[in-house]
Amino acid sequence: MPNLLRACVFLVCLSGLTTPPPARAGDYLDELTTRSRELRLHERREWRRLLHYISNLVRPGVHSLADAPGFFLARDGKTDPQAELEAALASFFSTAVETGDSQNPQCQFIARYAWLDRELGFDPARLPPQSCKRFHAWREALNPQGATLVFPAAYLNNPSSMYGHTLLRIDARDQDERTRLLAYAVNYSANTSETNGITFAINGLIGTYPGTFSIMPYYLKVREYNDLENRDIWEYELDLKPEEIDRLLMHIWELGPVWFDYYFFDENCSYYLLEVLEVARPDLDLSSRFRWWAIPSDTVRALVEQQGLLKHAAYRPSNATLILHRLRLMSASELVLANDMSHGRVSIEAPLFAALPPAGKARVLEVSHDYLNYLRATGRSPLSEPAVLARELMLARSRLGAESDDPPVPVPEVRPDQGHGTARIAVGGGHRDGTDFVELRARPSYHELMDPESGYVRGAQIEFFDFALRHYGSGEGLRLEEFKPVDIVSISPRNDFFKTLSWKIDAGWARRRIESGAEPLVFEVNGGAGLARNVPDALQSGTLMYAFLEASARADERIGHGFAIGAGPSMGMIADLTPSWRADLYARGHRFFAGDTDTSWTAGLRQRYTLNINNALRLDVSSERQEKQSWNTVLISLHHYF
Amino acid sequence: MKKVLIAIALSALPAVAFADNVGTCGWGSKVFDGQKGAAAQVFAVTTNGTFGNQTFGISSGTSGCTQDGMVTSTWKTSMFIDGNKERLARDMAIGGGETLDSLAHLMGIRDEHRAQFNRAAQQNLTKIFPSEHVATEQIVVALKDVLSSDRILARYAASI
Repeated sequence: MPNLLRACVFLVCLSGLTTPPPARAGDYLDELTTRSRELRLHERREWRRLLHYISNLVRPGVHSLADAPGFFLARDGKTDPQAELEAALASFFSTAVETGDSQNPQCQFIARYAWLDRELGFDPARLPPQSCKRFHAWREALNPQGATLVFPAAYLNNPSSMYGHTLLRIDARDQDERTRLLAYAVNYSANTSETNGITFAINGLIGTYPGTFSIMPYYLKVREYNDLENRDIWEYELDLKPEEIDRLLMHIWELGPVWFDYYFFDENCSYYLLEVLEVARPDLDLSSRFRWWAIPSDTVRALVEQQGLLKHAAYRPSNATLILHRLRLMSASELVLANDMSHGRVSIEAPLFAALPPAGKARVLEVSHDYLNYLRATGRSPLSEPAVLARELMLARSRLGAESDDPPVPVPEVRPDQGHGTARIAVGGGHRDGTDFVELRARPSYHELMDPESGYVRGAQIEFFDFALRHYGSGEGLRLEEFKPVDIVSISPRNDFFKTLSWKIDAGWARRRIESGAEPLVFEVNGGAGLARNVPDALQSGTLMYAFLEASARADERIGHGFAIGAGPSMGMIADLTPSWRADLYARGHRFFAGDTDTSWTAGLRQRYTLNINNALRLDVSSERQEKQSWNTVLISLHHYF
Repeated sequence: MKKVLIAIALSALPAVAFADNVGTCGWGSKVFDGQKGAAAQVFAVTTNGTFGNQTFGISSGTSGCTQDGMVTSTWKTSMFIDGNKERLARDMAIGGGETLDSLAHLMGIRDEHRAQFNRAAQQNLTKIFPSEHVATEQIVVALKDVLSSDRILARYAASI
């Protein structure tokens, strides 16, 4: 029903647009059109950006990324910038009056109007300007002074969210750092109520969701990311001039009703935010680099790298980050109390609690409350009415009056945009099973466990399309050693508060020894779940111990029966011997019990030494056993990130 | 066909406030006590579905109090309270914080009266949050009450 209603509204809009210009306007319209042709305005960068035109891949010409027909005034406006520009000029002569549901084209496409007015200098006597009350009321409500790029970083135990998301905050003139919650956020996202992650992922990959821009108070987004999803937020205040802010807002206004097909990897939130910023500052050239692959954190990096664009970066820790920070400051008895209280096992009348000094009480109550809210937000609270307890804890806290003297969460020394580049190339040489080899390895994104960790999440790995080529000294010559389209690992240390499960999944082709001694490239999917813990103190990031139970499946006509299914344990420990030097000692046993049966073993030591932010040395030694044959490998390599 | 319908539907935004929703403004008590499956988290790469289909101008439960995405001034304070109950209760209990500062800003409380406001909120938390699922309107009424019974803060009672 709402659809039908909106369809009617849409028809009203259309009839507004197609109102024929008054007859006397004809001459002036002809004049403007002629001038626009002489100036070749439709070829100008500003026009291309306003309409989101990009060059066609194969055929000559351009097309717009916008998919909503209402975004274009000319019938073939999606592919014809000149026709679109001339249709825009004609539409500006419309005398349609603005209503609650329709606008005059001058207002609906106010950024185009403003730019064409600047280039052609419209004569107000012959082309009367509209008042655009709705736009101006909107702009006044935003009261813009600046814009901030907002980057919610990874969430706990979810490496795929390392990709992040970006949105734009419009900072108002009457706000300061203490009241930024009241600003508005402009968000581009897939418009769907789909809650099934897998369905969402598939549809996102093939672009079946309409992506739309929305605008909402920033506090809703902060609550969503910080409190519900437990993601830290980075805020990058941009240094935009007033006229750039003007263009930005006019264009956002135009985009309100528009939709674009949403694709996860390229036409996503971050890509369109770059395009919007390019409208604000036309000489920025950002989006073209990300035409096919726009990782939000990379787009943040590209923005920050622009000379003079970043004014200031701020950090907003998530609820989980805040809890962990404060847990690290608590005594053993306070930890037990906070844990018990947040589960309702110990009341605020308990003698242990009463014995604490006021600052200790405040700390325990606050952490209990925050942790209870963490449990609630992640669906882990065992209580039937956790809100009752949350309120009780806060009432008790208010009666205390005192303040806890805990320092605030320290800002990480390295921001996400300051970590190593996400693409990696490595060259190395080594010795395997009696033969020397040289190796070339590359991956377009994103982060491996052994890569320098600054700016990334500890224990999280997500790699796409990693491959290795080797040239062996023996008769083998050059061969593809492995190719992994996807390889994700989340080693998330458990403690008494965060009882997270570690997990891993990878899929790809690797060399597997078969009975004959040959090593075909075999497809394998491998996944596992496990537990991890920091030692010696579970709450501090010391040495990370982990253990998984893994299962795998292989398929290839060259192995016996054409397939193999197996399972087995793996374990290891990751230690940072110095801030630059990391070692991972690991072992893995796997029993293939169906298909091509075999028992395989691997054990090894991987070491990385960080030379500087984008270069690292690696030394990997391993010992393997497959099909009753054993061999050792040693590889030394130089990794470069870009 | 579906695509076309969506296209038409979205083209019409920003659209009118539908009459039947007027008077029930709020962000909705969304998902705070949420159940999130592991799969949903794993694949939630760039998702922002949590708050549903917010398009310019309309998000469910806010028509009638927003115009083209902007919260109308009469609704600003109560919508803010509605969207921040947990954080507000926490800030009030502790005696300060960003969320309480923002509320004070919305209510026009001058800097020299902020400490007094924070103290009053802390001392009257039971009144302001009389139960765990208190409605936004009740919080507004209670806040008004607390302000008007305070000698210094009484002048702000009308601004909420």
